[in-house]
Amino acid sequence: MVLLRDGMCPGLDEGLVRGLRAADIKTVEDLVSSDMEELAQRCSVSYKALFAIRRVLLAQHAAFPVSGADLYEELLSSTAILSTGNPSLDKLLDSGLYTGEITELSGGPGSGKSQVCFGVAVHISHQLKQNVIYVDTTGGLTAGRLLQMLQAETSNAEEQMEALQRIRVFRLFDVFSLLDCLYGLCGGGLQRASVGGGSVKAVIVDSVSAVIAPLLGGKQNEGMSLMSQVAGVLKTMAKDFNVAALVTNHVTRSGGGGGGGAPALGAAWSHIPRTRVLLEKGGDVRRPGLRSATLIKSSRRPLLIKEEFDLKWWSRSKEEGGGAAAAASGKRKRDETDS
Amino acid sequence: MQRPVSSFSLSPGVKVKLASAGFRVTADLLHLSPPQLSREAGLSQQEALEVLQAVRSDGGGGASMSALELLQKEGELKSIVTFSSHLDAALGGGVPVGKSTEICGTPGVGKTQLCLQLVVDVQVPQCFGGVEGQAIYIDTEGSFLLQRVVDVAAAAVRHCSLLVEDEEQRVAMTTFTVETILSNIFLVRCHDYVELLAELHLLPDFLTGHPKARLLVIDSVALPFRRFEDLSQRTRVLYGLAQQLAAIATRHLVAVVLTNQMTTRLRGNQSQLVPALGESWGHAPTIRLLLQWSGSQRLATVFKSPSHADATIQYQITSDGFRDSDQSACSQPGTSC
Repeated sequence: MVLLRDGMCPGLDEGLVRGLRAADIKTVEDLVSSDMEELAQRCSVSYKALFAIRRVLLAQHAAFPVSGADLYEELLSSTAILSTGNPSLDKLLDSGLYTGEITELSGGPGSGKSQVCFGVAVHISHQLKQNVIYVDTTGGLTAGRLLQMLQAETSNAEEQMEALQRIRVFRLFDVFSLLDCLYGLCGGGLQRASVGGGSVKAVIVDSVSAVIAPLLGGKQNEGMSLMSQVAGVLKTMAKDFNVAALVTNHVTRSGGGGGGGAPALGAAWSHIPRTRVLLEKGGDVRRPGLRSATLIKSSRRPLLIKEEFDLKWWSRSKEEGGGAAAAASGKRKRDETDS
Repeated sequence: MQRPVSSFSLSPGVKVKLASAGFRVTADLLHLSPPQLSREAGLSQQEALEVLQAVRSDGGGGASMSALELLQKEGELKSIVTFSSHLDAALGGGVPVGKSTEICGTPGVGKTQLCLQLVVDVQVPQCFGGVEGQAIYIDTEGSFLLQRVVDVAAAAVRHCSLLVEDEEQRVAMTTFTVETILSNIFLVRCHDYVELLAELHLLPDFLTGHPKARLLVIDSVALPFRRFEDLSQRTRVLYGLAQQLAAIATRHLVAVVLTNQMTTRLRGNQSQLVPALGESWGHAPTIRLLLQWSGSQRLATVFKSPSHADATIQYQITSDGFRDSDQSACSQPGTSC
């Protein structure tokens, strides 16, 4: 709750704030929930003045209702559906990532979470010409791989460079830096990142569990609070700035069963993402890039639909884009001092 | 949007005092001076000053860069060659600097050998296409064999001296000797996980003092954590360790190489060899390399990497160190430098 300060609303001057404080009324919450008549007597102010202040404060701090029709109109004008660039995933997600929502990818090591994030970042920056914020908390982001994916999309070097410039990377490794970063983005960072045409349409956090998981469990209970802070700021950012938030999560193996495991971070986190997708490695030895994606939470589509996709998809046109890659590996040869 | 005070990196005690004094969001604090705050919230002057500094420095959101800048930075970083051209090709030039790589394998398959090879390789002079850096070796198993390092180093020196073509390389060879190689390896022996965690806390300072260090080896990360009684605490400690290593690798431009043991997992009636330390640890390293036997051949498989497709190659361990197994590939004249 907000601390009472002079000048907050008409009539609340310095003397009154001091008087209220003497009566142990420090915050707006205290003032609103206290008995007005008694308070007026104790602070020797007029009941009428106090009542007026209370009404203004309540109006200032209350949320106001919006009609469904207005909301729908806003929805139509402001919501965008960002394609992930992969047809199977788009099908699974009902045509892509929705702005204003949090979408979560979970999966075991090497299940392709980061690859999907890279693919989404590249697709949005190159095809849709929008800016992307990429928060890397594991050190797994490789710009070389982003370039490879871009090379599969276009052979024009200038377009590739432009697309890379539209992806803004934050590399941080603890939860407080993540919170600093997210609050910074809400407080103007998103607008600042938008200069130069296009606005920020997607914020990717890979991975959110890497920074939160070390705090959970055991005797420390601060972890839960920090997790809900991260969740809160992500939600607010997604809604207020109309960006699509894409986060990744680990999996934990649930009790010996043959299943692929459940997303980590527990039940409290499971309410945060609007849509959750579980990625698993395909069992086929001949196609090592094959992955399956299962929808495990969604408010739009039936659950547990499964789609298969191949990680190779993002580097599909290797022949035409491979020229530059081959040149790069040729340069590597020079470095080898093999016997 | 108002940022709650509890989201700052402050001690829990300070946060409780601030909350009970009614300070919940940053806007409540911005207009205060340190003495005022210390009086109102019952904090010491020092604490009040720290709180205000934390609150006022907010809004920067940390350093960021565009992916293009990141690409340029990556281009400047070389990878550490492994002396096995097939493995280098699978990893895109070798073990990448600035990332963490985990080597998993059964006993005797060559995990430590590969580490010892890397400790020498990281010092190959730049004119030979090397990184020319120093190495830190954290040994938790007691398996660091100095005699073996001398063998591998001598072989590397011999190899490079055969490649000398110009004056620059001749000059470089005068300092690339077994003695200098040994003097550029810093060995830390950790006996249990407490020593390991303590060492990792001190490491950033050590790395600032030794800016040429390009390789950090932990051989192995598994042993200190395998006899842990409280499993949930182990997971938490390991998560923290993973974040620390990622931060070290990125901030100090160091290649972090970890080795891990294998363990058996039962699935129905079938048993399966999987890397130890559990599923969640698997997310920690950026690249995972699996060394395994196939009959009498040794195979290395890349099975997690954000930038390379999965691949399997053969290798062998000779008296000179870690090499390609294919004879024809070995006898190829060394690529020009």
